[in-house]
Amino acid sequence: MTQTTETIFSLAMPYRETLDIRRTVYTGGNGPRVAVTAGIHGDELEGLYVCHRLAAWLDELQHSNPQHLLGQVELYPALNPLGLDTLTRSVPVFDSDLNRSFPGSQQGDLPKRLAAAVMTALDGASLVVDIHASNIYLREIPQVRINSEFSDLLVPLAEQANLDLIWIHGAATVLEATIAHSLNSRNVPCLVVEMGVGMRLTPDYCEQLTVGLLHLWQELGVLAPEVVLPPLTHHPLVADDSNVHYLNAQTSGLFVPATAHWTDLRRGELLGTIVSPFHGAVLSEVRSPVDGILFTLREYPLVYEGSLMARVMARKGGAR
Amino acid sequence: MKRDLLLMTAPVRDSFDIPCHEIGPKAAHPAAAFVAGLHGDELNGTFILSRLADFLNGVEAGKHPGLKLLKKVLIIPAVNVLGINLRSRTWPFDKSDMNRMFPGNVSGETTQRIALAVLEATKKAEYRVDLHTSGVDFEELPQVRLYSPSDAQRATARHFGLPAIMERSISPVFTTTLMHAWQVWPGQSFLLRVGQGGTVQLGHCQQVFRGLVAFLGQTGILAGVSLAEGDEEISHFRQGSSKRLYAGKAGTFVSDCQVGRWVRTGQELGYIYDSFSGNVIEKVEAPANGLLTGIRRHPLLFEGDLLLRINPKS
Ligand SMILES: [Zn+2]
Repeated sequence: MTQTTETIFSLAMPYRETLDIRRTVYTGGNGPRVAVTAGIHGDELEGLYVCHRLAAWLDELQHSNPQHLLGQVELYPALNPLGLDTLTRSVPVFDSDLNRSFPGSQQGDLPKRLAAAVMTALDGASLVVDIHASNIYLREIPQVRINSEFSDLLVPLAEQANLDLIWIHGAATVLEATIAHSLNSRNVPCLVVEMGVGMRLTPDYCEQLTVGLLHLWQELGVLAPEVVLPPLTHHPLVADDSNVHYLNAQTSGLFVPATAHWTDLRRGELLGTIVSPFHGAVLSEVRSPVDGILFTLREYPLVYEGSLMARVMARKGGAR
Repeated sequence: MKRDLLLMTAPVRDSFDIPCHEIGPKAAHPAAAFVAGLHGDELNGTFILSRLADFLNGVEAGKHPGLKLLKKVLIIPAVNVLGINLRSRTWPFDKSDMNRMFPGNVSGETTQRIALAVLEATKKAEYRVDLHTSGVDFEELPQVRLYSPSDAQRATARHFGLPAIMERSISPVFTTTLMHAWQVWPGQSFLLRVGQGGTVQLGHCQQVFRGLVAFLGQTGILAGVSLAEGDEEISHFRQGSSKRLYAGKAGTFVSDCQVGRWVRTGQELGYIYDSFSGNVIEKVEAPANGLLTGIRRHPLLFEGDLLLRINPKS
């Protein structure tokens, strides 16, 4: 078992410096290759910490039982290093969302070339997990988002990832220029994980996903069957476009939540209020439209009319 | 007449609106709808449309004898009002691109609500025109962009009298644009790209202003327009005919070339300097004979940045 950190893409910047995309590779036997990508949005840090936790686990394995890595693990914690290093969601200067630049091209500007290099590097992998951390506005329960076009293949994988929710999106709402869609279209299975909130770390969620990824890798034959892993502690509920309800602000102001994230709600139950710093009265009461579970909750208090404050998933029969 | 497309609250500022001009005879739908400023840094379009509104209001007030507006025209000089005021390309609150929010949603995000109001006001117009510039880094020759057009649309595009008509296919990224949302409605849609973001380029603006007036004349919306004296040369470029040159080296790019010039293969168009040492590291030459339809304006180059686009005579 070996561990190396290498540069997969390098591009010159206007004044002396270069942009480098680096990955860490743990190589064991000739078993399947798996990869974790993170930091495609410069304000999302949860995935960087998951990469660290996986690296720490693999370091320990290398020390104790190196023969148990049967395949290869690649960690790409920072696909948008300029954004991450400068607190910018998009690619600085280009002001473009890197996750709308895939599959990219060899010719063209930085985001296109970077995307193409990442596609080349990930080609042939048995599973890629792309970790996102929502944005600075919304907090998300650990979940996998799957395009219905690929659900037959991906849902069984996602069920073992120790997450709380699988959200299956209709093909019409799919963003084709994402890394996940581009990989899945080229027969490289890719799961998109959304969890936590932008610009923060949620260590419990990161541990939860780390355990899930190790189980997935064992299932795929990357880790030997005799490796003893911490038990799976979460089994996902399934959401789709029919049972997810969006709560958008009816007016502008400060959103103050009245309930905790990931709690059960009754229809009509108060979820939060919108208030104004100028007046004492409540401008708007935010109530759950259904019996369900609160899986997205606004973290950034200021809202404009229309801002998303919460998503509630109606239960499709059965208890959690 | 000024009308509010919609009125919205803000968290601590006063409520704000997205205003438009409705000019000419009363009608259920406008015959022509003009939109600009979906991106707050694209000032040429906003300037052109505000001047067009002033001109057409003048026509209505009888300041231009011989001209008469026969049908209703709707003009939205800027959709991203807050973006213009704060010099932001995107919607300043959540940094979302307003031209990725169509067809919009009455109960969705702020920008989706604005998108829906813009689409509702414009979608039934016979002719719809969305004005853009390039970003602040690049200058586009004033041109009409067509997306998988019909022959009728190709013919109508000539009415703008702009030097270039460029055809493009619709990329999957663009299914949430205003242009794409318009395409499902009867009538014809045009996207104009005019110059560079972040500035008002008077020459380009005057050319496109004259083009819009000519267009209103040719389509029978504005009566009494005398047709252009010397007919300008209009080049029509089919999809895939653009020759793009990307920077082979990073550095500082300097060029005094103007868009709209015909250039020859190998012609010197600029230089790339090493930004630290000051050495010339690359002489930039035209990759083909053709019309220079776009050129890099921001001097600082990353490796791979688009330097220029040339369209060979078809
Ligand atoms: Zn993300």
